[in-house]
Amino acid sequence: MEQILFRHNRPGRSVSFAEYRSEGGFTALKTALKEMSTNEVQQSVIDSGLRGRGGAGFPTGKKWSFVPRNLPGPRWLICNCDEMEPGTYKDRILLEANPYSLVEGITLACYAIGVRHAFIFIRRGYEQAAINLRRAIAEANGAGFLGENILGSGFSCDIDVHVSAGRYICGEETALINALEGKRANPRAKPPFPAVKGLWGGPTVVNNVESLANIPYIISNGPEWFKATAATPEAAGMKLFCVSGHVVNPACFELPLGMPLGEIIEGPCGGMRQGSRFKACLPGGASTPYFTIEQWDVPMDFDPVAKAGSRLGTGGIVVFDQNTCMVAATLNLVRFYARESCGWCTPCREGLPFVVHLLEHIENGRGSEEHIDILREHVKHLNQAFCALAPGAMGPLDGLLQHFEDEVREHIATGKCPCRN
Amino acid sequence: MIPENMRQELQNRIASAVTNREAAVDVMKSLQAHYGWLTDEAVVEAAELLGLTPLQIEELATFYEMIYRRPVGRYVIHVCDSISCWAMGGETVMGKIAGLLGISVGGTTADGLFTLLPCCCLGNCGQSPTLMIGDTIYNRVTAESAAELIEQYRNP
Amino acid sequence: MPKLIIDNIPVEVAEGTTVLEAAQSVDIPIPHFCWHPALGKAGACRVCAVKMLDGPVKGIQMSCMLPVMEEMVVSTTDPEAMAMRRSVIEWLMINHPHDCPVCDEGGECQLQDYTIAGGHGIRRYTGTKRTHVNQQLGPYIEHEMNRCIQCYRCVRFYQEYAGGTDFGVMGSAGRVYFGRFQDGPLESPFSGNLVDICPTGVFTDKTARFRARYWDYDMAPSICQECSLGCSITPVARYRELLKIIGRRNDAVNAWFICDRGRFSAATPVNNPLRPRTPRIEGREAGWDSALDAIVQRVSELLKNHGPGCIALVGSQRLSLEGMALLPELSTIMLADAPCYFCDERERVQTSAAVTGLTGAISASMADIRQADCIAIVDVDLMAEAPMMVLAVRQAWRSGAGVYSIGETVDLPCECTAVATLDDVPLATAQRPVIICGTSGFTTARQYVSLPMAKGEPVKISCILPGPNSFSAALFSHEHAAISLEQAISSGRIKGIIAVEADIPPELSADIPVIAALDWRNTDTVAAAQIILPTTAWAEMDGTCINNEGRAQHFRKTMNPGLPVHGLNPAGHPSHLHRTIPPGGDLRPAWQIIDELIVRMGGTRTTEQLNGKWEKLRHLDAEGDGLPIYEL
Repeated sequence: MEQILFRHNRPGRSVSFAEYRSEGGFTALKTALKEMSTNEVQQSVIDSGLRGRGGAGFPTGKKWSFVPRNLPGPRWLICNCDEMEPGTYKDRILLEANPYSLVEGITLACYAIGVRHAFIFIRRGYEQAAINLRRAIAEANGAGFLGENILGSGFSCDIDVHVSAGRYICGEETALINALEGKRANPRAKPPFPAVKGLWGGPTVVNNVESLANIPYIISNGPEWFKATAATPEAAGMKLFCVSGHVVNPACFELPLGMPLGEIIEGPCGGMRQGSRFKACLPGGASTPYFTIEQWDVPMDFDPVAKAGSRLGTGGIVVFDQNTCMVAATLNLVRFYARESCGWCTPCREGLPFVVHLLEHIENGRGSEEHIDILREHVKHLNQAFCALAPGAMGPLDGLLQHFEDEVREHIATGKCPCRN
Repeated sequence: MIPENMRQELQNRIASAVTNREAAVDVMKSLQAHYGWLTDEAVVEAAELLGLTPLQIEELATFYEMIYRRPVGRYVIHVCDSISCWAMGGETVMGKIAGLLGISVGGTTADGLFTLLPCCCLGNCGQSPTLMIGDTIYNRVTAESAAELIEQYRNP
Repeated sequence: MPKLIIDNIPVEVAEGTTVLEAAQSVDIPIPHFCWHPALGKAGACRVCAVKMLDGPVKGIQMSCMLPVMEEMVVSTTDPEAMAMRRSVIEWLMINHPHDCPVCDEGGECQLQDYTIAGGHGIRRYTGTKRTHVNQQLGPYIEHEMNRCIQCYRCVRFYQEYAGGTDFGVMGSAGRVYFGRFQDGPLESPFSGNLVDICPTGVFTDKTARFRARYWDYDMAPSICQECSLGCSITPVARYRELLKIIGRRNDAVNAWFICDRGRFSAATPVNNPLRPRTPRIEGREAGWDSALDAIVQRVSELLKNHGPGCIALVGSQRLSLEGMALLPELSTIMLADAPCYFCDERERVQTSAAVTGLTGAISASMADIRQADCIAIVDVDLMAEAPMMVLAVRQAWRSGAGVYSIGETVDLPCECTAVATLDDVPLATAQRPVIICGTSGFTTARQYVSLPMAKGEPVKISCILPGPNSFSAALFSHEHAAISLEQAISSGRIKGIIAVEADIPPELSADIPVIAALDWRNTDTVAAAQIILPTTAWAEMDGTCINNEGRAQHFRKTMNPGLPVHGLNPAGHPSHLHRTIPPGGDLRPAWQIIDELIVRMGGTRTTEQLNGKWEKLRHLDAEGDGLPIYEL
């Protein structure tokens, strides 16, 4: 299978600068700076159909196009590498194997948008990725691919690496901007959107690592080529799927967008581990409603997954087998969100602990029928939170009530968790 | 008091930032590395370095998971308790370590060697259950390997 | 002007108005905690949910975050919206303690109101309540964090609006904590507003703790007397004691807030049990009649011995306009020269120059300051002389105004560029420039009013005056060609002084007897007076004063005068004497005493204090914005 981002991978170590260059690295940058206008670079990305790989799936090129080019003052680009969504680790795998595609991609994006200074916001715990990136940035600087007057084009660009101190909410783009500014990382009200008023009040694009890392290949090979790497005509490009849970080979794979869920599990993942039967999965990270065997054949692309009642999210697939208690799994997920709430709005700050409280009761055999009604109320009302964190937490809860209501009722009726010995 | 060369280093870091505040997390992390945790004294020092008030540092310090505003052991063990690790038995690992250390989650051993904390997903879900000691991440931890690990840190 | 429909009522409001404000404009209340008109939207509490039935936005929306749009159809009573609001209250009550019976906010608590209004009464959450450790925040503010509903109003006011840096928000998720780094008094000179702005009882007024309930308060619209800005306040009293002061909205003056000086220092002198409370002659208690007659007798004697012009009637910059207006008549009848509204000659000259030099066109209101885009501060310590002006300047700066200071460097909670002279300030290129000065700098500032402007409005001036009613004093002084007491005494003709709420420097009147002092404060002048006539304090009377802008404002009587019950010796209480006036309560407004003296000197009784050009002020709405006297 063709690989895009993983094509440079070396077993057990990171690709070197020389290796990356010998395999065509930085030719996209050269081509763009010599032969393409900023608009052409942006148009290629738009034409490629590349959708944001961070979770929301917003078209990357379109996001760029919202940036007003006529405002005075600097514009900014931030690469969001605050990968803290449970079940998601693709950016770490990518950057530990190859930081160069990202550096090149950021430089191309900066060229397209007219950004002089970009930031990579990395989560705590990804120290190796940060080391790789700092090295890659230094090497690119030394080779003239970054810094002043890149390749004699007149375009200049610098990249700074900012390592965070750990908080899930920093991955929300406006919270990330606050964090980078050294403020408390509460999300900001939108509008204004970052593209108009973001970092230090300037127009700002926030893109995911994987989105940006794909840019060089789109520029080198053209948008049509990129599109065609997907598994279905509707999808565009490859996607890093990171799988965890009860499969034989839980790992990060670069697969064509649109590959059916079942094929991913049966193929690269090697199927369910010994003695395990597929019960459910989170198709795209902790905030996505569960898929069950019913969704086994759903193509893993943004729209089909949404149509099937969930979200492609980050591509972090967490697989559960028949012994997994879905109440307990949901409790774990909601507990995570309750703890990671920034504390700004009432539904998230107070509602999530209420949900945790109810799920604890049900899981511990002290649930009642009324609890199900209260949980449904919460699914509805937590969607009115300030940002997407609390609605994200409601994804699995919604999935639990939709697909596993019987299991919940069994907990209540029998006064114990049926999955516990 | 931090050593002069460290102060100089931090001042350079602040000077290279777009705004002083941008360097706040870096400064807090450096001071934490120096003191072991972000002491009250460190908060005041960070404030002085950054031209902020101690309250303004405290607002940030108390927001982040990996900034410690209370004393911690020499090794902080962050055990991931997120969904992938949970599915693979993370709770058992956490319980085992707590038992081995004789402390509850959030506690510090009497010898000041270990602090045990749950943490947000470490981005190592393919190798779950996982935990982090200092900056080092450990893969596919089992009750047995956890015991070995603790022993390694106890008697390096 | 977008048109929309809210609860079947057509509404038309300005572009940029939120749905919440649009509803308020037609008297539809939408519950809100985090939204505040002065702080704007935060979107934190989520209690202002409404249902959008039709138009460009659909479904449940937060009305504080949503700007009005054409063709919106809004329901505030839709069951879905009400269910959402009920959820928010339920969430907030998960951790809010049920301590209303011992909470000072009880009765004026927004959370209490909305909890009752929303019908939340059954607790479905069976866990324990979160608790916090409180901080000692100094002598004025009580901290009770368990009551916090995390609306973030306090921190938004304290840091964003007022520029404070020692109070903020810490922690995250369910452990969010609002306080200081460590225990200690709040540093902001505007900290008291936390009490007003907190929708529940986290911050309460420590000085009035456990003293009264909202429904028992004596309250009236009033005007702060602590400086010349004339901020709108609501004094709160009970049992003849001024308990506390609450900021009151006045968009032309202080907007929503007041300073700590105005809030926390005004009550003590009013409540002072030892302030003048009965007429006295030579230190002995006397009846009103005998004290008034004694004054008439002593004045007559002096006139017989020394002839006309031997009496000096002295007013002051804290006397109400009503009192000032009657003084000239008393002067005439006592054959005295015009009353001295100022003691100090230089102060008279400078204040008069400022007041007569200001016109409606050039006098800047505090609203003008907040909206200015260029502000020059000339030689005046705003924090000491007019604290709320600092807050106004900060608001302008937050909206992008340049702030410049000339003369001594001022410590402001905003960026401020020190320059040598007004010529260095880009006034001419500004749209809405303002110079803030004291009386000493007025003449210089006045020259810039005629500065040719590139495109904006002419320069306006805000001149800080020495006292709460200096403007009136200067007007009367000017109208009657009055001289200062200093000058009057230096003429050598003054043989006796009648001081009306006047603070006469002891050295100035050392050789001249103070025949009478009318006052409610224990001043040196009162101590030196032969006859003392106790007046009502501002909180105990109706009156009018004119602030530094030239804005006449009416203040209403909050409380009946009398010795506060609090602090009375229990042995003597209750009093067993038959009486219709409470102990220490037989006081009269200064103007009434002046009037009585006029009558006893053979003049006619005044039926109206405000006559001639002041007539328009008779029915001034005390709850309104006041009236610039330039419009009289």
